[in-house]
Amino acid sequence: MKNRKARLLALTAAVIFSGSLVAEGVRTPSMLANTCAGCHGTLGASAGDLMPIIGGMEKEFLQMILLEYKTGERDSTIMGRIAKGYSDAELKAIAAFMADQEWVSSPVKTDSKMVAIGQKIHDKQCKTCHEDNGRVQEDEAPRLAGQWPEYTMYYLEWCHSKGKRCQPRKMGKRVMKLSKEELKAMAEFYASEK
Amino acid sequence: MAMFTRRKFVKAAGACTALGALASINACTASTPKQASGGGKGRVIVIGGGYGGAIAAKYIKLADADIDVTLIEKDKKYVSCPLSNEVLGGDRNIDSLTFGYDTLKNKRGINVVQDEVVAIDPDKHTVKGKSGKQYAYDKLVVSPGVDFRYDKIDGYDAQAAEKIPHAWKAGPQTVTLRKQLEAMKDGGVCYIAAPPNPFRCPPGPYERAAQIAHYFKMHKPKSKVIILDAKDKFSKQGLFMQGYKKFYGDMVEWVSGAGGGIIEAIDANSRTLVGEVEEYKGDVVNLIPPQKAGKIAQIAGLADDSGWCPVNQKTFESKLHKDVYVIGDACIAGKMPKSGYAANSQGKVCAAAIVATLNGQEPGEPSYVNTCYSIISPEWGISVAAVYQLVDGKIVGVKGAGGLSPMDATAATRAIEAKFARSWFKNVAADMFT
Repeated sequence: MKNRKARLLALTAAVIFSGSLVAEGVRTPSMLANTCAGCHGTLGASAGDLMPIIGGMEKEFLQMILLEYKTGERDSTIMGRIAKGYSDAELKAIAAFMADQEWVSSPVKTDSKMVAIGQKIHDKQCKTCHEDNGRVQEDEAPRLAGQWPEYTMYYLEWCHSKGKRCQPRKMGKRVMKLSKEELKAMAEFYASEK
Repeated sequence: MAMFTRRKFVKAAGACTALGALASINACTASTPKQASGGGKGRVIVIGGGYGGAIAAKYIKLADADIDVTLIEKDKKYVSCPLSNEVLGGDRNIDSLTFGYDTLKNKRGINVVQDEVVAIDPDKHTVKGKSGKQYAYDKLVVSPGVDFRYDKIDGYDAQAAEKIPHAWKAGPQTVTLRKQLEAMKDGGVCYIAAPPNPFRCPPGPYERAAQIAHYFKMHKPKSKVIILDAKDKFSKQGLFMQGYKKFYGDMVEWVSGAGGGIIEAIDANSRTLVGEVEEYKGDVVNLIPPQKAGKIAQIAGLADDSGWCPVNQKTFESKLHKDVYVIGDACIAGKMPKSGYAANSQGKVCAAAIVATLNGQEPGEPSYVNTCYSIISPEWGISVAAVYQLVDGKIVGVKGAGGLSPMDATAATRAIEAKFARSWFKNVAADMFT
């Protein structure tokens, strides 16, 4: 009896809450997230080259990145200008919506020699955080497997230029020691892992 | 309105068949909901398969597959205006801007029809095609792009535009203009007459000047590009002027409206533009005329005295005809510019409003965005962006968001923005056609 009452109470609360979601001024997650698709592809499945796939990426990671774009903590050419147009709650809703989508790996063909070099570097110093060849997403480590290589390269070069100021610091310290060719090999390797 | 999904409808229909011998036909007919005449929840017709229309059709289907969607487009293939200046610059082939409708048809379940709508009957909820066919709708989306006000330029019309191309709808005229540039002798002058506000793609004429200069710099370095403007200022002006100076020096010139840039007439045979004060004889002339909403919007009485279509900015439903929605360049969308990304964003807001309405719900609160990239030189891109919301029934930019690329950005940043421009195109095209 007690349980039923609690459940009913929760249900009532849920109804009131969902009622408030459609109230004037509140925008649904799909309404918000569909504005991203012009650059990031339908449901975040990017069609290339420099635009990252964000559909199916981990919620916490996306949330963190979007909020950092908004505050300016993270450099960007355009994402900062765009992220400022949404409330923190809206950015979180966008992150959650994108995280719910299916990850669609880039169909790009990769160079097997470069992939082998990238694999070695990955095994040596990346795999503790980016498990299963970059497929596992945990502790704010984004999915890398299947990402467009141009984007991964762009991110790695940015991190390389920041050195120890690249977050997380342990990644910056490792990436800054790699050559441009090695960074390219990393990007190829992750792209080859669908 | 009856909430009757396709699944329920099929079930009911199945029950009728199974019980056919027992139940009366009338009872089954009576259970058929009114809106189910075409699709489970209603029939939507979209006129125009471009940046607005293709998106509206696809996003209605994405949100609710039980809605019957027909896309009527007059051309078999679509050629994108965004990025078409790169064809003039020589870095891109027109084929890379050309798309078909097979995926929308086969993967998205949209009924794609090649026909040109010549009349809309908003009372009867029908549209008529040039083919003579009639199509019935519950909701109609009109995304016709722009038409030209040839009457504002003496001596200019659709026929003259074959010789003096505006190339403001990508396709054969883009190719003609490119050929004219290729045929021009070194030391020649190319005039671009830029239109008054409002018009399709505000940064477009200025990116075009840069792309033509890019071609001249490599192949005809003694030549010039002169923009004759109807206006006294233009989109991303500071960034464009900085880029012109850096890459093309004196090769690009801009004449403001007050400085004599307003064009009133043309002599097509001698390629002479007639301004208020001066005449300008060019070796290549690109005359972009003043604009208004696309032809079908004019015919159907969807435009007001301004030549553009007033809409409810929350849903894009026409203020002049019920159950008709106008999106993209043709509509008056508050502070949003007439751009490809704006049309994309409006298509999604309109789709959501139609889906809600056909499901018996109130349309939700909208969210809109725009991003426009311009490529000044292959490795020098600039952008403007804005995020919009609805305030007191009007679309306005969110304060503190959006804005231009910074004037003092590094060369590396400009190079990345040029790459982003091309990646944007890949994604926005995939959003439309896949």
